[in-house]
Amino acid sequence: MILADAWRRSAYFRVGASLLSFLVLIALLQPWLNGFLIGESDPISMGNFKAYLPPSTEHWLGTERWGRDVMALLLVGLRYSLLIAALAGSVATAIGIVIGFVAGYKGGRIDATLRTMTDMVLVIPSLPLLVTLAAYIPRVNIVTMALLLAAFSWPFTTRTIRAQVLSMKERPYIDLAITSGLRDWEIIFAEILPNLLPYLGVSLAISMGAAMLAEIGLQLIGLGPGNINTLGLMINWSIRWGALGLGKWQMVFAPVLCLVLIFVSLNLINIGLEQAFNPRLRAVTGE
Amino acid sequence: MTTSQTLSQPLLAVQDMRMVFEATGGMFSRHNVVAVDGISFQMHAEKPTLLTIVGESGSGKTTLARSLLGLRRPSSGSIRFRGQDLYAMSRAELHDYRKAVQPVFQDPYATYNPFYRIDRVLTMLVDKFNLADSKLAGQKLIEEALHAVDLRPHDVLGRYPHQLSGGERQRVMLARTYLMKPRLIIADEPISMIDAALRALFLNILLDFRDKQDISCIFITHNLATAYYLGGEIMVMCRGRVIERGDMDAVVNTPGHPYTQLLLEAVPSNNPRRRWTEKRAGLSIDTSELKFSPNACVFVSRCPHVMDICHQHRPALMRTPDGQEAACFLHGNQVFQDQTTITLEEKPTVKN
Amino acid sequence: MARPLLDVQDIRIHYDTTRGSYKVVDGVNVKIKRNEIFGLAGESGCGKSTLVEGILRLIEPPGRIKSGSVRFYPLGDDEALGVDLVQLGEEELRQMRWKHLSYIPQGSMNSLNPIMRVEDQMIDVITTHADLSRQAARERANELLRTVGLSARAARAYPHELSGGMKQRAIIAMAMVLNPALVVADEPTTALDVNVQRAILEMIADIKQQTGATVIFVSHDMAVHAELVDRLAIMYAGEVVEVSDVYTIFENAQHPYSRRLIASIPALGGSRTRLESIPGMAPSPLQWPSGCRFHPRCPHAMSVCQQIAPPLIELTPGHQVACHLYYDVHELQLSPTQESEHAI
Repeated sequence: MILADAWRRSAYFRVGASLLSFLVLIALLQPWLNGFLIGESDPISMGNFKAYLPPSTEHWLGTERWGRDVMALLLVGLRYSLLIAALAGSVATAIGIVIGFVAGYKGGRIDATLRTMTDMVLVIPSLPLLVTLAAYIPRVNIVTMALLLAAFSWPFTTRTIRAQVLSMKERPYIDLAITSGLRDWEIIFAEILPNLLPYLGVSLAISMGAAMLAEIGLQLIGLGPGNINTLGLMINWSIRWGALGLGKWQMVFAPVLCLVLIFVSLNLINIGLEQAFNPRLRAVTGE
Repeated sequence: MTTSQTLSQPLLAVQDMRMVFEATGGMFSRHNVVAVDGISFQMHAEKPTLLTIVGESGSGKTTLARSLLGLRRPSSGSIRFRGQDLYAMSRAELHDYRKAVQPVFQDPYATYNPFYRIDRVLTMLVDKFNLADSKLAGQKLIEEALHAVDLRPHDVLGRYPHQLSGGERQRVMLARTYLMKPRLIIADEPISMIDAALRALFLNILLDFRDKQDISCIFITHNLATAYYLGGEIMVMCRGRVIERGDMDAVVNTPGHPYTQLLLEAVPSNNPRRRWTEKRAGLSIDTSELKFSPNACVFVSRCPHVMDICHQHRPALMRTPDGQEAACFLHGNQVFQDQTTITLEEKPTVKN
Repeated sequence: MARPLLDVQDIRIHYDTTRGSYKVVDGVNVKIKRNEIFGLAGESGCGKSTLVEGILRLIEPPGRIKSGSVRFYPLGDDEALGVDLVQLGEEELRQMRWKHLSYIPQGSMNSLNPIMRVEDQMIDVITTHADLSRQAARERANELLRTVGLSARAARAYPHELSGGMKQRAIIAMAMVLNPALVVADEPTTALDVNVQRAILEMIADIKQQTGATVIFVSHDMAVHAELVDRLAIMYAGEVVEVSDVYTIFENAQHPYSRRLIASIPALGGSRTRLESIPGMAPSPLQWPSGCRFHPRCPHAMSVCQQIAPPLIELTPGHQVACHLYYDVHELQLSPTQESEHAI
């Protein structure tokens, strides 16, 4: 299996995958962890506790302006941020796979048409459009947010995947497959796709990271949906309500640290995948 | 077309095939490369034949092979399988074609998908073409094919391509074609990347295929010694044109075309006592440097026997005294023009 | 025998990787004379390319020259004038290169600098390693390019404007520019058409005739060796198994591998005898077979072949073979029964 190979071959991958798995685990266990931290109360609803309490054994990171436990919020934020990133990244990559493979393998007019479509979406300035949308749709849910982000990032994954397919198409084993009577879709899925799995993994990690960045960016400038408590939103609020001035630096740094950890793990996974599968880097091990 | 009509057609008939590539040599220059320039020949099913196509780089032989395999449609001309145009076939007809015509490629590593074990190239065929009724029967067929190329199944099955040697990989490819029992194998430089000893084995297997299994082969190579060993028929290509063809012994012993002569002389001999005695001083013969126009002989810039007519017309293939055909005005005055042969009235004059 | 130009003694070049140690060249002894064309033959994986790369000190990690010496006498026969190439430092090696030994690597058509004109590259080499003015260097470069059949226009061209054959000729000219005593050519004609190959082979024969240099010619193509070389060494599994003059090798090779190798090559013309192949598979440098490395595939293998590696011994003057058929392991000398018969 690809993942097993990557794990075996690359220390970077081991660290990155472990870190990401840990974060995902925490996000999945969030309801129970929050129960452990703050009992029955809903982490998001305000007024459960006194505002601006300092960090203590009861509230590991203190409380914020609206009396909510920061640690509990952090876990919720982690969960939502990961969810949005995963969803947006997956959708973008899925679209990229379908369009990229078809365009890359078929070539000719189909390729030209799909490429034009992709390029048209590519040149749309995403930020102004997202800002406009934000102005008109103040309340979105996670799925909508993810789809919006994916709608602007799929051209990037499509282009990368198409390029990879173009180069794979020229390999002699594709000729052999054609003369063995394989149909187009069989070649795409059985011959080309398996060899591109590492690249697709990298593509997925990158688009997840890009989705997170986009979401943070929007939240930070206050133009994201204010009803989903993501890490980006936490950072925004804490800065807006003067946490640093009040000396409550943990309210800014905690979510930032989480975000950094997510990015670092994604990047390590990428480096690890490349290290495990790039043939040129393998020369020294003599494999 | 009725079945009897189909069967009486030649197995493979290439008619006036041309392949033109558009090559952009930079921002502003575009020129077309004529890789295959009007080729016609036939292979017949009744007589298993080994046809060796010999040519240097740029001769168009690989382009021809790929078109014959259905991988790229020619710019003009036709390739017919039992009378049917290869590039106008239905899916079912193409299926039959693949059953009858199979390739062996040059690179014994790149032709394997590194993701899978080598069994796959064999099982893929068994499944796709329903070569066996049951899994067990299929397994038996595969083992029989491996034995036919002198491989022991348990040495080879279950392994990944990088775990086998180049020679073994290429033999598995040959086993794959054997599995199909095709009527025709198209082999493009199949031995240039394997060791000398295994080359001999490979060639012997091809000869056995012809003699014992009635499998014909189009063998493409730049190595004349290999071609000679295979015997059969030979077709010499130069810059996209067939310049000589016929029986191997006739062509090698009494070449009809000056280019063939040059090629034969350039082959290093196996005998240190019979080395080249004179140098070809000054005569740099690089086929990629030959300059000629569409209506002239391909060899005008370097031919030691060039005449006026050679610059003015492109020679058609003409019979030589020893029985083969050569595209050279030394043997007649038939001209190849507009895809047909025309006879000129005047006799060619010999330049002093 | 007069002092050889190159005296290779017990060279071992190993590649140490996470999988184990690839003993690619494992104990090679060979003496190369002045003014000869010395052929190095063998199939892929036998170590011939690695051997010459080792001689030229071009081995990169994870490969290393584990042991052995390569004594080189470019300046004369005197022992004091010789150097051990294995022991030289980087600076001294740099001074050796191009001036006393030059290299035509595999696929060398691609080793021309693509952004410099051919002529300029040669001038660069000349001015770096010899005391010539730029003008004199230009004249020498053009003169040499003319000898290999390249016009002044070709000299002023960029590599991509030249054909494969022309690039190869330019590389050969560059290798000869400072008249080195030793030229190493590794598969110089492998990717070339047969007509161009002939021109290149004639050029290499000229090098020997006109400059008195020695050429080490590495190729897996036996026919090319038959056409060109004076003496020939056959390598198998990291070792030299037979060395002799080219006539003896082709007409009277004694090592079973050499004989099989020669019998597997098709000849153009004459009767078509069925070619022989060699059963089995070439062994891996990770795990060479014990004793004589050819024993798993040898039709004449005896029990001693599996246990003891036969040394390279002199069968007749100038003809060395490493095979137990000719070597009595108990007497440590030529086996008396085989001496006169040379039977197989």
